[in-house]
Amino acid sequence: MAWDGGLYLDLFAHSLALLWVIVPAVLFGIVIGALPGFSAANTLIILLPLTLSMGLDVALAFMTAVYASTHLGGGIPAILVNMPGDGGSAATTLDGYPMTLKGQGQQALVLCFVASTVGGLVTSLAVVALLPYLAPLGLYLRSVEMVVVMVFGLVLIAAIASDDMLKGLIAGFFGLMLGLIGTDNIYSTPRASFGFLELYDGVPIIAALIGLFAIAETFSMIERDTIVPETAVDTSKPRWADTIDGVRMCIKYWWQIVWTAFIGMLIGIVPGAGATIASFVGYQQSRMFSKTPELYGTGHPPGIIAPESANNGVTSGTLVPLMAIGVPGGATAAVMMVVLQYQGIVLGPRMFIETPELAYGVFIYMTMSYVVMLFTILPLARYMSKVVSMPTRIIVPLIITLTIIGAFANREYMFDMGLALAFAVLGYIAVKTNYHVIGILIGVLLGPLFEQYLLRSLRIGQGDLTVLFSSTLGNVLWAMVALSLILPWLRSRQTRRAQDRDASAEAGHGSLS
Amino acid sequence: MASFDRLSRRAILGGALAAGPLLAAPFVLPRRAAAQAYPERTFRVVIPTGQGGGAERLARAHDAAWSKLLGQNFEYEFFPGAGGQIGYEMFVNRREPDGYNLLFGNMGPEMIMYAVQEPDYTFPDDYIYFCRTDIDDSAVFVRRDSEYESIEQVVDAAKQNPLNTAVSRIPHPASIGMLALGEQTQSEFNLIPYGGGNPTQVAVLNGEADIGALPIAGIVALSDQFRVLGVFSDRNILADKTENAPTVNAVFGTSLPDLSSSRSWAVHTAWADSNPDAFAKLADTAKQALESDEFRAAYEKTGAPIETIAFGDRETCTTYAQNMIELANRYKSVLSADG
Repeated sequence: MAWDGGLYLDLFAHSLALLWVIVPAVLFGIVIGALPGFSAANTLIILLPLTLSMGLDVALAFMTAVYASTHLGGGIPAILVNMPGDGGSAATTLDGYPMTLKGQGQQALVLCFVASTVGGLVTSLAVVALLPYLAPLGLYLRSVEMVVVMVFGLVLIAAIASDDMLKGLIAGFFGLMLGLIGTDNIYSTPRASFGFLELYDGVPIIAALIGLFAIAETFSMIERDTIVPETAVDTSKPRWADTIDGVRMCIKYWWQIVWTAFIGMLIGIVPGAGATIASFVGYQQSRMFSKTPELYGTGHPPGIIAPESANNGVTSGTLVPLMAIGVPGGATAAVMMVVLQYQGIVLGPRMFIETPELAYGVFIYMTMSYVVMLFTILPLARYMSKVVSMPTRIIVPLIITLTIIGAFANREYMFDMGLALAFAVLGYIAVKTNYHVIGILIGVLLGPLFEQYLLRSLRIGQGDLTVLFSSTLGNVLWAMVALSLILPWLRSRQTRRAQDRDASAEAGHGSLS
Repeated sequence: MASFDRLSRRAILGGALAAGPLLAAPFVLPRRAAAQAYPERTFRVVIPTGQGGGAERLARAHDAAWSKLLGQNFEYEFFPGAGGQIGYEMFVNRREPDGYNLLFGNMGPEMIMYAVQEPDYTFPDDYIYFCRTDIDDSAVFVRRDSEYESIEQVVDAAKQNPLNTAVSRIPHPASIGMLALGEQTQSEFNLIPYGGGNPTQVAVLNGEADIGALPIAGIVALSDQFRVLGVFSDRNILADKTENAPTVNAVFGTSLPDLSSSRSWAVHTAWADSNPDAFAKLADTAKQALESDEFRAAYEKTGAPIETIAFGDRETCTTYAQNMIELANRYKSVLSADG
């Protein structure tokens, strides 16, 4: 697995010859990603017979382009209409939609596009350069460390709840309860599924996502004439100036893009983890190290950059264990594995010796996809942002139809359509009573994963709780969790004290005068 | 009137004789014609595990040859989770028993799950396996640089302290193997389920688990990274690919049963029994496809050793499945949450 510059140059040249498949695949992936319920894995499973009939390099270029671009597409509805296209863009709604409400929809989209493409680009190039060293990295994160990574994501509930702790925690715990529905991780015995076969595998994430966000949001939209309150509708012609403004914000926060992308890549390398965890952890970490954590959730640019960059960093990360040890890092990587094996490719370390052009080619095609994405999507931000001025009488039926189909398409269960509607009612009530919908969602998404890693760790420790503090890396991560809880509290206390001092000084000054 | 009566009687008798075949035709001819025309449309296959797994790769390798013999294509649906329960419930209770809905499952672990969870369908009354594709023996394995170099060392260590053992699921032939080995050698294995072959392999690779127990084919495909220490079978058919790893029975003088995973196609029993001609066509072509060079080439491409290919008909599969149920019942107390 040594560095071979000549090989990379050849592969880059070859990827240019595959632009005929990469460009349409990128556009296709963006559209698919923007539709809630349609994921890259679903799409590739449907298209699997087609990809099996393609040449291997064409099939890989097509699949990597669709995979990478769907992650970008998911951010579009998250920002414009508060409806994440997939779990990976749920955290984007936290600051994306508030920006749209402030009339900065176009800038928010540009932030999403640039963060996604640059984040994806940086990590796919990093993987090309560091693949031999990255491969064993995923092995350092075992069940104990993954428990802490999950805690990072769950801590976000507390951060979100900071303005109303009780309601925030109730929402989070309610989500965790819902997340426990399904068969247990040890014996596969159904619990709390109420006899519904459709709930044996847990609450379907897509139906929950669609209901809590997309359909619940349409209920709120019905109360208005336009998607966002009319004060936030910008009726002027699309301007390049706003696009440039968004790019400028990205340059200002370039470091956020880079390091959250690497968080995404590292989480992607761990088999079983994925874009949802990466985006929540990326958001939480960005907030933790920010000098202005109180601005998060109000339409703060890094609140879009962090989750979008992290969820695109995941794409190259999930392919590392597939290529290096023959173990797919996620659902889409598993579909790609089928194509590779169908073509007789032996995955694992031998692949780098026997077919290096394929092992590295996948990452080169991904790099090229991100370049294509940046140039094709950026000019469209000007027009996409105008979606918010569409009258609700047109957009609401359209969204409900598409999302209900999306809820069905994921597992092809009629049950999921009803479940999405039930979650929609729940989401609407939560919004109206000021409970955090995202808190419920984090519980549903991360709860089952947390349980799975926790039970496994406890089994490894044979019931001894100290096993959770038995690894050095795990302990470092625990310290970071503690910091992420204490730091914002210390900062806000400091700010409050400074404000009190200023106020008393001003009062003193006033009394003197 | 008399003549009319006579004529009438004759007419009725004659008419009945003439009309009999015609009246019966809708019940007889379509069935015969249907058997001849079968199959007329695409097959829909339920796979009770996730996409990208061994079952999908094997099913696709087989259908590459089979679809040509049948003249129809195969479409796959994946229902992972709950140890296969979702896929089976979906197939048995929600798919039409019309000979076009098939299931491709792993009889070993899924029959154990059937015995342990006691679902509301019954085997073999509701479905039957009719074409076994392979026999994949369970094996104990470690990573290449492990301190354990033999199965004896593993058992010795497990006599001192429980050894963390990565398995796919608790209700699985490999898990039963470890439990039985522990029972017969007074050693203790702490089973940790990882929910699938891939994550189980990773757990052994990253040292989270001391050893692993899985079907052998997947381990042999990653022989650069793993070493097989023992096989739960009377004979190690992959001796040349596993550095002559011994069988557990040979080493310890135990009499553990063969603990294999075994994939097979299944169809609804009601359809198979009421359409014997069509079923025979389905079963015969499945066998032919399995014995074809095309399948062997495709199977080899998946990285699985061709020695594991092993056809089994309805009878063989039923016997195997019932043996698994019996085995699961024997260890039910440790395989289920109730135990």
